[in-house]
Amino acid sequence: MKPAWFDYYAPRALSEALHILGDAGQDGRVLAGGQSLMPMLNLRILSPAVVVDINRIEPLNELRADKDCLTVGALVRHADLLRSADVCRDWPLLAEATRQVAHMAIRNRGTVCGSVSHNDPAAEHPSVLVTMGGTVVVAGRQGRRELAAEEFFTGTLSNALEPGEMVVQLRYPRPSARTRSAFVEFARRLGDFAMAGAAATLTMRDGTCEHARLTILGMGQGPFRAHAAEQRLTGRRLGPKECKDGFAEAVAKVTADVDPADDVHASSSYRRHLAGVLALRALETALGRTGGKVG
Amino acid sequence: MAREQRICVTVNGKVYERTVPVRLSLADFLREHLHLTGTHLGCEHGVCGACTISLNGRSARSCLTLAVQADGANVITIEGLRADDGTRHPLQQIFLENFALQCGYCTPGMLITAIELLADNPNPTEREVREALSGNICRCSGYQAIIDAVLIAARQAGVAHANAQVR
Amino acid sequence: MSDARFVNLKAVGSSVIPDEAVPLVEGDGRFLNDIKLPGMYQVAFLRSQHAHARLNSIDAGKARQLPGVIKVLTGKELFGKVDPFRSMPNRFSGGESIQHWLAVDKVRFCGEAICAVVAEDRATAEDACNLIEVEYDPLPAVTDPRLGEQDDAPLIHDACKNNYLIKREYQRGDVDAAFRNAHVVVKRKFRIGRKQALCLESRGCVAGYRESTFTLTVWISHQLPYVVRHYLAEHLRMPETDVRVIVPHTGGGFGQKASIYPEEFVCAWLALQLRRPVKWVEDRLENMVASTHARDQYIELQIAADKNGRILAISSDIWVDVGAYSIYLWSAGMEPLQTAGLMPGPYKIEAMRYRTRGVATNKTPVGPYRAVGRPSASASLELLIDELGRRLNLDPVEIRQRNLIPLEAMPYRNANNLVHDNVNYLPCLKLAVAKAGYERLRKEQHEGSPNGKFRGIGIACYAELTGLGTSTAVGPGTLLQPGRDAVTLRLETTGVLTIAAALPSQGQRIMTAMRQVASDELGIRLEDITSISNDTATAPYGFGTFASRTAVFGSGATIKAARELRQRILVIGAFLLQVPIEELTITNSVVHTVDRSKSIALKDLTEKSYFSAKSIPQEINPGFEVTAFYDPKFGSFAGGAHIAVVDVDPKTGQVEVVRYVAAEDVGTLINPAVVEGQIIGGIAQGIGEALLEELVYDDAGQPRTMTLADYLVPSALEIPRIELHHANVPSAALGGFKGCGEGSIIGALGSVACAVADALSRHGGDIHDFPATPERVLKGLGVLASTQ
Repeated sequence: MKPAWFDYYAPRALSEALHILGDAGQDGRVLAGGQSLMPMLNLRILSPAVVVDINRIEPLNELRADKDCLTVGALVRHADLLRSADVCRDWPLLAEATRQVAHMAIRNRGTVCGSVSHNDPAAEHPSVLVTMGGTVVVAGRQGRRELAAEEFFTGTLSNALEPGEMVVQLRYPRPSARTRSAFVEFARRLGDFAMAGAAATLTMRDGTCEHARLTILGMGQGPFRAHAAEQRLTGRRLGPKECKDGFAEAVAKVTADVDPADDVHASSSYRRHLAGVLALRALETALGRTGGKVG
Repeated sequence: MAREQRICVTVNGKVYERTVPVRLSLADFLREHLHLTGTHLGCEHGVCGACTISLNGRSARSCLTLAVQADGANVITIEGLRADDGTRHPLQQIFLENFALQCGYCTPGMLITAIELLADNPNPTEREVREALSGNICRCSGYQAIIDAVLIAARQAGVAHANAQVR
Repeated sequence: MSDARFVNLKAVGSSVIPDEAVPLVEGDGRFLNDIKLPGMYQVAFLRSQHAHARLNSIDAGKARQLPGVIKVLTGKELFGKVDPFRSMPNRFSGGESIQHWLAVDKVRFCGEAICAVVAEDRATAEDACNLIEVEYDPLPAVTDPRLGEQDDAPLIHDACKNNYLIKREYQRGDVDAAFRNAHVVVKRKFRIGRKQALCLESRGCVAGYRESTFTLTVWISHQLPYVVRHYLAEHLRMPETDVRVIVPHTGGGFGQKASIYPEEFVCAWLALQLRRPVKWVEDRLENMVASTHARDQYIELQIAADKNGRILAISSDIWVDVGAYSIYLWSAGMEPLQTAGLMPGPYKIEAMRYRTRGVATNKTPVGPYRAVGRPSASASLELLIDELGRRLNLDPVEIRQRNLIPLEAMPYRNANNLVHDNVNYLPCLKLAVAKAGYERLRKEQHEGSPNGKFRGIGIACYAELTGLGTSTAVGPGTLLQPGRDAVTLRLETTGVLTIAAALPSQGQRIMTAMRQVASDELGIRLEDITSISNDTATAPYGFGTFASRTAVFGSGATIKAARELRQRILVIGAFLLQVPIEELTITNSVVHTVDRSKSIALKDLTEKSYFSAKSIPQEINPGFEVTAFYDPKFGSFAGGAHIAVVDVDPKTGQVEVVRYVAAEDVGTLINPAVVEGQIIGGIAQGIGEALLEELVYDDAGQPRTMTLADYLVPSALEIPRIELHHANVPSAALGGFKGCGEGSIIGALGSVACAVADALSRHGGDIHDFPATPERVLKGLGVLASTQ
């Protein structure tokens, strides 16, 4: 399982990388962590003519927590997030999801931006980005543009990148202190590709849910934002007893609206069932946590 | 030509300068060019863990890393676990004494991963050991002897010191 | 006056740290892919994309022109020059399957080798494979054995009517009467999915021309070096003595590396043609389709029982999906005949009947994998026994106690004509029950779980015939009777003992065990004993490592040879020390009188015997090399009882094994830590079979599980701490040893399957389709519709 030939570049400046990617167009690929790209190259699922290794571009290795947002550059590894006290404390949904990414050796190399770009239906990061209302910063030879998370994910293993473009940064808004969150997933073994998962945030005020956000992963086409379920919860009282009905309605919307695929790991009906189970677990867990901290 | 590149890699404390095909994996570089065959290939897609080495102080799948990416990097393999005088790393000794290997094919990855665990978490619970090693497949042992060996190592003085030397 | 150096510590029974492991733990193993020879080429195979198709044309023009490509070999070029694999004779064969090393006019499974590309490096060989254009004429594929045996099914082999590679019916005892007179009959259909051994190191070989004095030397990751030599010579039409086979360190075997495959034979032919060393390493993508698969049975089983739950008779109807060819060496009979024939297990069953078929399909051939048909047979029977117990309101322990063959009844000939003797089925069950705290487990189960999970408890009792001698074929109907494994002991000039046997290990430390046995028999220190096991140029003839036989065969032969060698040593010792031989013994590598008044170090004795031979009468100095065979004739039954406790998540269907107790009878233990490692390793594979592992094909015969992200083997988190206990009774074989490599996987599949079924049955559910994936569990609970 050796890759086909490619031309390899390891520029030290972003502008150079974008120039090469621009020339290569559809035949170019970005190599960051390599944890998604290299298996595809080894299996010869992909044979790009040009591989641009961005690991020498120092400015892309930026992880910065500001008053309003967390900036995650293209070279930030999953493990870097977990080693950041800021991230673990103030972006708990992101931390909780990242802990479930594969295994340590993968987390040490794999990048958050890479995971987002790849948009595997079972991946954790796309759903977290959507749930948190994050932003994707894209760069190409012609300049930069920014997309809302949901604009970026366009379908199974697809994204809104034009040929020659790459993700250079993600931004995650800082959650309010009144936001409780939970990320749950179900996989056959720890670290496996998830069969389904759910990311939920509930912004509460005096027992009422001001905002609810719920995204389901594993359904096949990329992160599924459960709008109808969120609507059922927004503005609703979610006390210990009242939440049961609210959650039940939300979950019913989830299972009605998801459109999961059949594959060798699970049938669509099982995935649909899991979506409901995990959505409920995520909502219940989020509600049970004190504001802003992982319980 | 963008298909070959000269790289300079430190492996087990020794500096190597070589010209390599750009598509060559770090695993194949270690095995074929440096004749360090202790790192094993079990799947070449990052799942089995047999190829795990230490790259700049952290565990990494050498089958998913290109050799050219290791230019300027510091790599430790199972062959680098011995002390300068040739004595085994304490974890290797404990593995041997506790029958924590059978066919030996997963062992290089297990050792590197366990050493990283103990460096990050010197006193892990059994659950934590199992979690940390869950990315390393063993088909022979059912894991028990390996888990026990790591727990024994955690309790032994001198292991942490040896781990620090490896990093 | 005591002298410490004369005190003998028994080696057998001690967990001696194996010297064999030292290079492995230090990263100095020499596995197949570590072998590099000057001028070596690398091979990649182009493999069929279709499950069933005619091969119309192969155009390798572009491939041959790629720089670095040496040769592209097709089946046409090989045709007539080498002998293809014709299915091994088996008394119950259907038709004959012929497997060309590279497909000639037809491909019969996805992954079948079509071309071999030789290049300077592997990556270039793979590049070349991508340039070969193959024109296929697809044919309809057979993917279900029950459909494949129908008259209108596509025919995979012209000579195999109804696609039967194997078919057998068997009956013993008046089965019809038993079913007629039964108080209760239970009946179920079971499905055990397709698996593979998933050795962490896949297959491979390096074939060399005139690398030493042999014309052909083949390094091969394999369990049976002499068998490989025999068939290489036969199929390449060269003298056996021109071929040398060497087995390097091997990363797992489990039976998958005991079959004969075309790829290594192609490499051997290429080496002879090109007069250069040729290497092939099977990558994981290939391994998923090119190395043998296992299990894949449809089992319809019935039990007739009396009102006390005593089994009167069993009857089974079995279909096994044996893949496209009858696997070479063992035949397609392995899974079908063993699943059916070994169904009775450790239970007293007077009457049985079966109808079993190995039906060819357009999938990878099925071959032996750890315990072959026994796990599936045992799991089916155990599940149905539990069903019987539920019907009669008998606890699973109780009903098994009533049916296990008790020691008092032994020797006991079962309905499958196997004689059980010297094996502790009931004591193992009692021990497992006691150590598990079974009554408290049931009580806790009854009280329900605070975490909302459904608890299940499963029990499986198994019998495993190990160390088969010449009276029993390696599989029913096969014309292969292994039983000639020689062990040679040689005392070297320095007094070191060498043990040589063609019994390579893949981690089970066979040579360490034999060193321990030799140490005790001869009184030579372990550190003065070394071993050779992997090279036909240096080891004596032997069949190899498989079927849990090496402890019995290797140790038995070692003991026989050791006794002869000891006699020779003492005779010379008596001469040199001028004492009667009756007064002499050997302790810690010293020959001495019992009263310790006179002694001579063994190394001094050997040095004298070799280099001062003139001073010793010729008739008492015949040399120190002794070869012995050991044929125990009959096998030695091992047995055990396993209890698995599972928690089933009724929302996701996930099953977790939360506790596992195993009580085993594996005879006299040579190296307890090694035995423990084998048993736990087998349990882990059985848990994998029960819950995780499955090879999936679609209706067109395309494999859907292609990588290790699809085929899931247990990680450290899926295997609980195994509580292992022993109720060992020695076998009747020399040394009292039994094999332990395969029994535990039988117990594990059975106990975990029963535990899941137990959990579901208490909530109105059922399951008989394994592995018990979360989805199957939810279907079994009625949470998901079963018609999906």
